[in-house]
Amino acid sequence: MSTTTSVIDRLRARIGVDAPPTEAVVEAGHLKRFAEAIGDPNPRWLREAPPTFLVALAPVMLHLAEAEEYGKGWLNGGNRFEYLEPVRAGDRITATGHVADLYEKSGSSGSLLFIIFETAYTNQHGKLVARLRGTAIRR
Amino acid sequence: MNLKVGDELPELVKHPTTRQLVQYAGAQGDFYEIHYDKDYAQSVGLPGVILHGLLKAAFLGQLVTDWLGDGGTLRAFEVSYRGIDQPGRPYRCRGKVTAANGANVDLEIWGEDPDGNRTTVGTATVEVKS
Repeated sequence: MSTTTSVIDRLRARIGVDAPPTEAVVEAGHLKRFAEAIGDPNPRWLREAPPTFLVALAPVMLHLAEAEEYGKGWLNGGNRFEYLEPVRAGDRITATGHVADLYEKSGSSGSLLFIIFETAYTNQHGKLVARLRGTAIRR
Repeated sequence: MNLKVGDELPELVKHPTTRQLVQYAGAQGDFYEIHYDKDYAQSVGLPGVILHGLLKAAFLGQLVTDWLGDGGTLRAFEVSYRGIDQPGRPYRCRGKVTAANGANVDLEIWGEDPDGNRTTVGTATVEVKS
């Protein structure tokens, strides 16, 4: 019980605090492999990122490894993407994320820990290209 | 595009396999074992390997971008994962127009398992060309 409490306290202390940014170049080969993996044959995705591609560019859960002290498994509760600029092959994207909120809920099969995280993606011109909000659940 | 509330998007049926889950794990870089290791998945209380939520989101993204084509731009896209889905079962992606105000169009989108359960539900906002 004390472990559970302390992990929640430690994660709560990080609410709103950005993790170190990660940077990655959108590679044409990666776009192709991603489009093949999702089974979307649209040739547009050979040069432009399909809607969910940014999650493949930088780890989605940048800073949540210690949350694994809680429960025994992860579930993805949901994702929200907001698009401001197109992302194309060759773009250099910087992803900056933080925990936005954290709460516990009791469900039918025990307690659940909800972690809301937000990531902002900017390109090599310093322009915000997309925002992602996600709900990760420990159970 | 001349759209009105209630218009339905052409449905998209995907046929995910365990092979595709491995392919997706590699392409996204999400190697959580519940998506390809049946013994591990069962050890955490799942019936077997399950689809990545973000793979289902990608399917719904394709539903919208296939329908939109060159006729507009996807502005926002939100999904909630309400149930698990297993490979070997077709996944039916559907959507309809819920609001159409000039260039801004809101959609309700969802993914159904073969029993008709909406295991992923969401919304999308698109900006259409006039």
